[in-house]
Amino acid sequence: MQGHDDLEPTVHIRELKKDKVNFVLKNVDLAFANSLRRVMMADIPTVAIDMVEIEINTTVLPDEFIAHRLGMVPLASSNCDEAIRNTRDCTCLAGCDSCSIMLVLNVACHDHHTMDVTSHHLDVVPPGTPGTWGDGEEQEHDAGEELSKRGERFGHPVGKDEPGTPPVLLCKIRKGQELKLRCVAKKGIAKEHAKWSPCSAVSFEYDPYNKLRHTTHWFESDERGEWPLSENAKEEEPPRDDEPFDFNAQPSQFYFEVETDGSLGPQEVVMKGLAELQTKLANLILGLKTQPELDILTGGEQQPNGNNADGWGAGGGGGGGWGAASGNGGGWGGSASPTRGGAATSAWGATSPHSSGGATSTWGGGANAGWGSPEQQSNGWNV
Amino acid sequence: MADSIPKIKIMKGAEADLSAATFQIHDESHTIGNALRWMLMKNPKVEFCGYSAPHPSENVIQVRIQMYDNLSSLSALITALSDLETLCGTIEDSYMTSFNNDDYEKWIEES
Ligand SMILES: [Zn+2]
Repeated sequence: MQGHDDLEPTVHIRELKKDKVNFVLKNVDLAFANSLRRVMMADIPTVAIDMVEIEINTTVLPDEFIAHRLGMVPLASSNCDEAIRNTRDCTCLAGCDSCSIMLVLNVACHDHHTMDVTSHHLDVVPPGTPGTWGDGEEQEHDAGEELSKRGERFGHPVGKDEPGTPPVLLCKIRKGQELKLRCVAKKGIAKEHAKWSPCSAVSFEYDPYNKLRHTTHWFESDERGEWPLSENAKEEEPPRDDEPFDFNAQPSQFYFEVETDGSLGPQEVVMKGLAELQTKLANLILGLKTQPELDILTGGEQQPNGNNADGWGAGGGGGGGWGAASGNGGGWGGSASPTRGGAATSAWGATSPHSSGGATSTWGGGANAGWGSPEQQSNGWNV
Repeated sequence: MADSIPKIKIMKGAEADLSAATFQIHDESHTIGNALRWMLMKNPKVEFCGYSAPHPSENVIQVRIQMYDNLSSLSALITALSDLETLCGTIEDSYMTSFNNDDYEKWIEES
């Protein structure tokens, strides 16, 4: 077993700036470090413009072009968890102060100069303004306490009223041209659309010397000369020239740099990322412990498809994939996924040449060898 | 409501004693799948563990677990999940310790 499994996981911050944090995560597996990266990029809620109603557009850009650009404008989203609801969970019919933020833009050019329309021209309509969400009974439903959890700048374009921060350019207009529109910003996550990502970049590096050979460097004549080392190489021992390749080695140090677009601070992104991971796990545990169907499902059915050891356990047949293990009724929804039926095309069977060995594989010998042995954690099954 | 879809179910073909089973988890991805596979693999009583995200248009992952000694894969799964949760907590603590105590390059707010 690799050493890092037995050591306490640690984090060491190297740099913390207004919009980025750089830290080293040690003694966890690549799988976990990647989970953290993924969750920070795609699972943290922010607000972004989601609907645009264009009243006047005499600019050179078509409506949808402008609507797309508006969606990408970062909006201040601190404490998004509590400060705003998802519209799908809200009691309103089509947007209200608890689940949406209205922004307006109204710019016209009257002189002979090219004028920039930027994110600084977007104004938030303060919550509670009558007539914002259509006429009639305003806010009949429960208003909730979201509004009280919002910071002063919540929903405002990032950098507005911050001297020295350049705005996001939306469009350029000339004399006689005009742009007038209303936007509705909503809460969402980047898994649905990248505009909701709080991160503009998450860099993630391990093994700067490529000792593990997880990548292949293409080169003309001199690999080391043509592939300069990253700064992170200073944190690790360079390999000796006569060092044999350690095929059991696992990465255990991960260099993160989380850079945000300003909608959230880097500190909040890391904390929310870890919290989001924990929420996902807690939900799963809850699902496992509260679903009585789980027992019923397993009690009643006596494997009409035969022993599932055929596929995985005893190495029955080369390339046995999921399809082979569960037979024709194996929960894939029958023909829903045609490529799944053939074991050879199964992602599992095909990607790893060792897969056909199943449990009889003789990697290390001994009772604990084979798939169960902890050394096998990254042998390619998850690819 | 969307809650009518169960978060997790055991797929057809599991052993009666759950010593080998495939769990289908709704609304999860590689984010949980790969980390969970790793945590399960650390358990010496797990004979085999693997996961797949079968198809991009199906919002599920599947986790296959086979146990030694006819132990329950369900309890191994629960253990792995809570271990991962603990790990997140440990990393959060370690991050905060570094944040409060370490000497690193900081951003100083102007004015
Ligand atoms: Zn609402």
